[in-house]
Amino acid sequence: MPGKWDWLKDEMGGVSKITKFSTVMKFLKGRVSGPDDMTKCAMCPNMCRHACPISIVDGKETTSPAGKSRVGMMVDHDVLPMDEENLYPMLMCLSCGCCERWCPFDFSVSDILRAEKEKGVEEGVIFEEFQEMFDNLGNYGLVQGEIKKKKSYPNQGDVLYLRGCEFRGDDEKVIGKTMGAFEKLGLDAFVLSDEECCGIPAYNAGNTQLFKKLARKMAKRINDSGAEKVITSCPSCAYAYRKLYPEFGLDIDVEVLHIVEYLEQKKDILGKKKGTVTFHDPCKLVNGLENKKGMKDVLEKIGLNVKVPRRSGEKTFCCGYGGSTVCRLNEYLSSKISEERLDELSSLSDKIITSCPTCKKAFEENGNLKVYDIGELLYELL
Amino acid sequence: MVPEEFEKKRNAGKVNRVIDKITRLLGCDKISTRKVDLLSYSHDYWPISLHWMLEDRYPSLPHAVIWPESKKDVKEVVKWCYKGNVPIYPYGGGSGVLGATVPERGGVVVDLKRIRSLKIHDKDLLVEAGSGLNGYYLEDELNDKGYTMGNIPQSLYPSTVGGWVSTKALGQFSTKYGGIEDMLKGIEMVIPPGGELCLKPHARTSTGPDLRKLFLGSEGALGIMTKGWFKIWPKPEKRIKLSFASDTLEDAVESVRKVMREGAEPAVIRIYDKIETKRHFYDYDEIFGKVATVMVIEGNEKITQAEKKIVKEEFIGTEMGGKPVDHWLETRFNVKEAAEFVPMGVVFDTIEVAVNWSKAMDLYRNVVDAIKPIKGVLFASAHASHFYPQGICFYFTFAGTTPRKKDAEEFYQQVWKAAMEAVLDSGGTISHHHGIGRQRRDWMEQELGEAYSTLKAIKERLDKKRIMNPGNMGL
Ligand SMILES: Cc1cc2nc3c(=O)[nH]c(=O)nc-3n(C[C@H](O)[C@H](O)[C@H](O)COP(=O)(O)OP(=O)(O)OC[C@H]3O[C@@H](n4cnc5c(N)ncnc54)[C@H](O)[C@@H]3O)c2cc1C
Ligand code: SF4
Ligand code: SF4
Repeated sequence: MPGKWDWLKDEMGGVSKITKFSTVMKFLKGRVSGPDDMTKCAMCPNMCRHACPISIVDGKETTSPAGKSRVGMMVDHDVLPMDEENLYPMLMCLSCGCCERWCPFDFSVSDILRAEKEKGVEEGVIFEEFQEMFDNLGNYGLVQGEIKKKKSYPNQGDVLYLRGCEFRGDDEKVIGKTMGAFEKLGLDAFVLSDEECCGIPAYNAGNTQLFKKLARKMAKRINDSGAEKVITSCPSCAYAYRKLYPEFGLDIDVEVLHIVEYLEQKKDILGKKKGTVTFHDPCKLVNGLENKKGMKDVLEKIGLNVKVPRRSGEKTFCCGYGGSTVCRLNEYLSSKISEERLDELSSLSDKIITSCPTCKKAFEENGNLKVYDIGELLYELL
Repeated sequence: MVPEEFEKKRNAGKVNRVIDKITRLLGCDKISTRKVDLLSYSHDYWPISLHWMLEDRYPSLPHAVIWPESKKDVKEVVKWCYKGNVPIYPYGGGSGVLGATVPERGGVVVDLKRIRSLKIHDKDLLVEAGSGLNGYYLEDELNDKGYTMGNIPQSLYPSTVGGWVSTKALGQFSTKYGGIEDMLKGIEMVIPPGGELCLKPHARTSTGPDLRKLFLGSEGALGIMTKGWFKIWPKPEKRIKLSFASDTLEDAVESVRKVMREGAEPAVIRIYDKIETKRHFYDYDEIFGKVATVMVIEGNEKITQAEKKIVKEEFIGTEMGGKPVDHWLETRFNVKEAAEFVPMGVVFDTIEVAVNWSKAMDLYRNVVDAIKPIKGVLFASAHASHFYPQGICFYFTFAGTTPRKKDAEEFYQQVWKAAMEAVLDSGGTISHHHGIGRQRRDWMEQELGEAYSTLKAIKERLDKKRIMNPGNMGL
């Protein structure tokens, strides 16, 4: 069978050798790798623009997927200096990975721009809005800072429930209900009293050193906990523990699952109460953890009548608060994205389910509906 | 580095006064003079402007970029720019391939993407869309509700509804659903010196010359489109996939001519010449070395069956089943080559033209023969992508590496010149759907003859100060 580029080699066979010809030939023969990823992305006509929540709602070329790479390229080429004004558009990224699903190169712009973000931090271009987060993470291991009142939960058992910053800092009630749901499901769940952030907010903002520091701590604590399994409420935490930590040489010895993945594995979880709901698939569940089906099947398994949004599963759309950077630098844009998503969801049902603490927060701050985390929904239905 | 001229331009007093006024009226969030934004709007997908970017050259910079959110905002922008004589470049998705948004004379780029309302009128089978609405967003929303507009250009993902109308675009399924001109039923425009007009979406109207047509393909030179009403269809109930391998391009082209003459309208028909067949179907042994044709027939069950029968009766070639069509469907948005090859110094572009059946094969041969011998050209090929009872669109692709002692732009223009002359000499039209922009403007006079003066007169009447996309299409 002919190879991908044989037709071109055939055509080029008849052409006399000219400048740059040999580079092309070497590329076709696989001997050189071609342009770097950021340049390729910068030269793309934005073939994932339609999936990028920032691009759809903000509408700017500068913050479009390829647009961000073009800014990265301009900074790299010294056309623009590395400063707040020029780093800012590159940080207008929700790290949602929605671009990757459509990218012919399988790129995610948030990965493409990692080096630029890191360079920003290294060169001391740190936004005031991030400094507080970095300080809180460094000092308290929690995005929001010190928790005044801590509720106590069992700290020994089989299944380690990692609650994540958002619930620990802002929505304690959901933790109680999720623990209650685990009990109803027959799990012997416990928490880490010294749980800290998984580090992903620092990673998203380009502070890899801080991320590594937090990751080392959490990897040790999880591995020392004696748990047989880890379940998280936050898909970003599960993503960090399962996918990111190993990239930095930190392996978690036990299985790490997001709560939806755990429920997927369970055969029978029929709820006692019925009802109609719609849902929001968190980006990190679908794109990060590559759970392409999202939450639909699990909700149906509980016995609910599920209204499926146009943008669900691998076509999901970010809640607006993903990625730690946009919601800090441009709250207005984050809210607009939440509203766009809420318009879609609330046209289907007034009961919205999600499975990410950040998404729940985004929707509740930007709409009038109560949004259920799957943990608290289970607690009420089982 | 950014040319010094950039700073000079930025300080031009009069333009700045207009920018200040618009900033006061619209608010800071809708306008920017930040360097990073100006650079980001200095190009579209015209290979020349991509080449500038790769070489860190930014010769065409606007003074400001504006993101209006309503018709009212657009009216203010046009009004104050007209007063202050400041050029306006309307901008949709920037996927245009001919430099039609390149702000060559400074001024303001007006990005319409925040004007993106969408309303379906079920009983009237119409969709009402803001001009900045993303193409995929529109089609996906329609599909979700049980409709299609049927306009699926390869740039569906990055482009906008306003861009489609302004370039007179069309999609891969055009042989059934038509081009955007067949879909546009009503249009709302803001025109210089700041007024507006609305042509309502009647089923049909006989009220003087059809002014909607005036704005179709006007490429931002006559005003800014803010809204459009488009024909939609219930989602097709049946889809049939057919493919053929023919010995020659002539056989395949002649087959489709007959199919069209019989009145069958497969939504998608694409005939690839031998080079492009090898390029797209390299892992199909039976097709490699032949001329591949893929077809999608869709719509009402009974009608599609009748169309399939006509196609099978008329086609000269071996039937290859649905697999090659699936392959085409899966890969049709894989736009990679420019990003992969252009940074390595390859000069690459596509040129789409149309011609009536009687001259079709001559035009194909003449264009390939004109491009291929040019020193530096690596290949020239084509596929036929859109069909009519009267004729055909050929979509040529060429790639080359700049010969020594030549500059890349010079080489690129040499190929274009050869192609355009061959098209005109062969009795074709210089553009089938990409439009004119800044790349094709030099051939407008030859293409339109006296009618070009009429177009200029219309421009003069509507936009005396020539603030709307000056220089584009040579206007
Ligand atoms: C990979 C790729 C594939 C393509 N495939 C196709 C295809 O299959 N079919 C096809 O027809 N074209 C195709 N094109 C060309 C291009 O996508 C189309 O011309 C498209 O219609 C441009 O839309 P846009 O929103 O990107 O417009 P832009 O590129 O932003 O603008 C194009 C022109 O329209 C004007 N304009 C834009 N919006 C408005 C408005 N609201 N009011 C007034 N003027 C406005 C601009 O000033 C400019 O003159 C392709 C391009 C690429 C890069
Ligand atoms: S991520 Fe991929 S599809 Fe998106 S702009 Fe970059 S190269 Fe294009
Ligand atoms: S990761 Fe998300 S926000 Fe960032 S460019 Fe991709 S789609 Fe857009």
